[in-house]
Amino acid sequence: MKNNEIMIQVRDLKKEFKKAVKEPGLKGSFKALFKPKYDVVKAVDGISFDVPKGEIIGFIGPNGAGKSTVIKMLTGILTPTSGTCTIGGKIPTQNRKSYVKEIGVVFGQRTQLWWDLALRETYMVLKEIYEIPEEDYKKRMEFLNEVLELDSFITSPVRTLSLGQRMRADIAAALLHNPKVLFLDEPTIGLDVVVKDNIRKAIQKINAESGTTVILTTHDLEDIELLCKRIVMIDKGKKVFDGELSELRHRYGQMRELAFELKDAEDISLLEYDKNFNLSADDLSVEVNSAAVKVRFNSDIASVEDMLSYTLSKVHVKDINVKDADIEEIIRRLYIGGGDIYETSVTDI
Amino acid sequence: MKRRLRIYKPFTRAGILEMVAFRVNFIFFLLGEIMKCFVMFFVWKAVYDSSDSTTLYGFSYDNMVVYLFVTFLSGYLTYSDGSYVIGKEILDGSIAMRMIKPVNFDMCFLFQELGGKIFQLLIVFLPITVGLEAYRWIVSGCFMLNVPMFLLYCLSLILAYGINFFFSVTYGFLAFYLKNLWGTDIIKGVIINFFSGATVPLAFMGGFGHILSFLPFASLSYTPVMIYMGMYDMGQIAFYLSLQLVWLVFFYVLSKLVLQSAMKRLVVHGG
Amino acid sequence: MRRYLKLHSIFIKQDLKKLMEYKVDFLLGAVGFLMEQAVQIFCLGIIFSTIPALCYTVNGTVVDSWSFHEVLFIYGFSLIPKGIDHLFFDNLWGMGYWIVDKGDFDKYLTRPINSWFYVLCEKFCVDALGEFIVGIALLIYSTLSMPAEVVADINWWRVIPVALVLPFCIMIFTSIKTATAAISFWTKRSGHITHMCYMTNDFAKYPVKIYNTVVKTAITYILPFALTAYYPAIFLLRGESVWSLPVTVLISVVLFGLSQFIWHKGLRAYESAGS
Repeated sequence: MKNNEIMIQVRDLKKEFKKAVKEPGLKGSFKALFKPKYDVVKAVDGISFDVPKGEIIGFIGPNGAGKSTVIKMLTGILTPTSGTCTIGGKIPTQNRKSYVKEIGVVFGQRTQLWWDLALRETYMVLKEIYEIPEEDYKKRMEFLNEVLELDSFITSPVRTLSLGQRMRADIAAALLHNPKVLFLDEPTIGLDVVVKDNIRKAIQKINAESGTTVILTTHDLEDIELLCKRIVMIDKGKKVFDGELSELRHRYGQMRELAFELKDAEDISLLEYDKNFNLSADDLSVEVNSAAVKVRFNSDIASVEDMLSYTLSKVHVKDINVKDADIEEIIRRLYIGGGDIYETSVTDI
Repeated sequence: MKRRLRIYKPFTRAGILEMVAFRVNFIFFLLGEIMKCFVMFFVWKAVYDSSDSTTLYGFSYDNMVVYLFVTFLSGYLTYSDGSYVIGKEILDGSIAMRMIKPVNFDMCFLFQELGGKIFQLLIVFLPITVGLEAYRWIVSGCFMLNVPMFLLYCLSLILAYGINFFFSVTYGFLAFYLKNLWGTDIIKGVIINFFSGATVPLAFMGGFGHILSFLPFASLSYTPVMIYMGMYDMGQIAFYLSLQLVWLVFFYVLSKLVLQSAMKRLVVHGG
Repeated sequence: MRRYLKLHSIFIKQDLKKLMEYKVDFLLGAVGFLMEQAVQIFCLGIIFSTIPALCYTVNGTVVDSWSFHEVLFIYGFSLIPKGIDHLFFDNLWGMGYWIVDKGDFDKYLTRPINSWFYVLCEKFCVDALGEFIVGIALLIYSTLSMPAEVVADINWWRVIPVALVLPFCIMIFTSIKTATAAISFWTKRSGHITHMCYMTNDFAKYPVKIYNTVVKTAITYILPFALTAYYPAIFLLRGESVWSLPVTVLISVVLFGLSQFIWHKGLRAYESAGS
C-alpha cells in the first residue's frame, strides 16, 4: 500500500442552517408567535482539505467555528448543503450503511454505550450490528484490551464507570470493527492529567499498529502537540490554517516569554516596555502577580537581547528566564485575531 | 407582602415565556387531549339515544356535553405538574440548586406554573367557554351563563388549583422514596381522573359516588363543574366551597411536613 | 431481513436484562397501565348500566345496536394491535420528544444498519404487556358472556383472515408514529403531533357507526385506527364489513410507504444539535 494514499478528500464543503431570530423579552416572544423570522447561518463555508492514510490530524478552532458541523458531515450525520466529502472513495450520504462500517466515531461528551448494562453487553451488540466474525472479534477485543486496559471494568454497568474508564470504553467501542478512520471529538474533555496521558498513548498505539487514520478535534492543545503532525484550523466556517505544526510554530512563533521575579515589587512602575520598544497591544502582554512578572513579546520587533538588557538595567531581579511561546500562545493569538487577519497569511503558506 | 411577591415575578414571567416558546407543542398536545371529549360526546349521544328517558341521574344530553367539556377545561386549568417537575429535579439532583436560592422553593414552582396558566387562560379557557356557551345558546335558545355562578365557579377553580398544587408537591416528594417518575405519575393521573369524576359524573355511581364527592379529588374538578352547571343550590355551594378550603389547608400543611422530612433526607444524601 | 430479526431479538434480550435492574419502575408502570384500563372499563360498565344496549338510531328508529359485551369485545380487540406496537416499537415516541431535540439521533446514523430500524427496536417496552393482557382478557371475558349462538358463529373462516390482517393493523400504528416522529427532523420536536394523532385511536374503541361522517371518514381512511379495532372485531363477531380486510392491507401499505418517504426526506434535513 502506498504511504501517501488519500483517505479523506473534502472539496468546497458548505453547510447552511436556518435559524429563527427572536427579539429579546416578552414582546419579542409574542412577535415571534405571529411573524417568525429566519436567518441563514453559514456554519461551514467552503472548506477543502485532504487527509492521507494513517495520519493523525488535529482539527481545531474556537467554539462555534464549525468544527463539529464538518465532523458531522464527514461521519454522515449531516447532509452538506453543497460540496463533497469522500472517505475511502465512498460518499457518506449516498451509501451510508456501507460507509459507516469503515469509520468509528467517539463523541467525548456523549457516550454510545448502553448506560444500564455491563460494558461487555455493548460490545456484544456492536459485534452483531457490524457483523464481526467471532474470530476477528476475539482478536480485536484482545488487542483493545491490551491497549485500553478494559479488563478491570468490562463486567461493570456503564453508569458506574469513571469518566476516564468510560472514555476508554467508548474508544474501544468505536474501534471494534477495525475502522479505517477514527473520529475523536474531544476525547480528553474533563479528564485528569494522568488519564489524558493514557488515552493519548493508546491513540498513538492504535494509529501505529492498525494504521488507523485519526481525525481529532479538541480544545486541549496538548493533545495536538503530542499527537498530531498536522493541523487544520477553522474559524467562522472557513479554513484559516492547514499545515504542519512546526510550520505554524515557525510562522507565528516569534512570540517569546520573559519571566522574572522582582526584588522589590514596587519597581514594576519603572518598566515601560510599550513605550521603549514601540510594541502594540497585539505584540505585547505583561502579566504581574505581585513580584512575579511575565512579559510576552514579539521577538521580530524587539529582540530577546534588547529586552533582557533593558529589563536588567531598570530593575533588580531574583530570577530570570526566556522561553519560546508554546503552541497554546500562538493559537490564542490566532483565535483572538479572527479569520480575517490570517486569511492573508494562509495564502502565502 | 408586596415585596415578597415581587421576588417571584421573574418566575411567572419565565412561565409565560416557556409557554409561548412551546406554544405549538402545547396546542397539538391539547388537541390530542380534547379528542377524548369528542369520543365521549358521540358515545353519550348514542347512550341517550338508546335510553328511554331523556335524563340520566339528573343529566340531560346537553348537560352531559357541557359536563364533558367543562370537566376537561377545569381539569386542565387546575392541573399541576409539580409532582413531575419536583420528582425529576430530585432524581437528577438539580433540586440542590433550588435549595441554595434565597426564595421559598415550592413558591418558585407555584409562580412559574401560574405564568403558564395565564397563557392557558387565554388560549384554552376563552375559546372553550365561548364555544360552550354558544352551543348552550343554540340548543336552548336562550343565554344560559349565570354570571354570579360563573364567578363562584372561578373561585372554586382557584381553590381547586391550590389543592392540586400542594397535592402534587406532596406527591412529587414520593420520588425520594420510590425513585420513579413515569409509573407513579400515570398512577396519579388515573386516580385523579377517576375519583374526580372526569370520565363519568360521580352522580352515576350512586352512594359510592356520594362518598367520593367528599374526597379531595372531587374538589379538583367535580365541585367547580357542578357549580358552573348550576347543579348545586346555594347551601350545597357553600358546603362544597368550604370543603375545598379544608382540603387546601390540609394539603398545604401536609406538603410542608413532607418537605421538611425530605429536606432532612437530602442533607443526609449529599456529602 | 434475517439479520434484522436476529438483531431485534438481541435488543430485546438486552432490554430484559435492563428490566431486572429496574424492577420497581417496571412494576409501577405496569400497575399504572393496568389501573388505567380497569378504570376505563369500570366507567364503561357504569355507562352501560343505564341502557340495555348501545343503539345507532336514525330519526328515532334503531338501525343497529351493540350489547355491552360486544362493545367490550371491540374495546378489547383495539388493545391488541396497539399493545403489540407499543411493546416492540415504543422508541418512536422518544424520537419526537427528545432523541432529535438533544442531538442523540447522531448515534443511529453512525451505525451500519437502517436508522429507522435501529430506533424502532432499541427499546422493548415491557409495560405494554399490561395493555396486551387486558386486551386478551377482555376478548375472553366478553366472548364467554355472549349468547352461545353468537359465539358459535365465530369460526375459522373469520379468525384466520383477521389473524392475517393483524400485522397490517400493527403497521398502521407504527406508520403513523413513524411519520409523525419524522417531523421532528425539521421541527426538532414532534412528540405532541404524534400524541395528537395517537389519541384519535380512542375513537376506534367504539362502534364507528355512532360517529358523524367526518369522524367516520377520518378514522377509516386518514388516521385509519378504526381498521385496527372496530372493523376486524365486528367481522369476527358478526361477519360484517368483509371489505375492510383488504382495505386494511391496502391502506396500511400506503401509509407505511408514506411514512418511509417522510423519514428518508427527514434524514436529509436532520440538523443535529449544537454547531
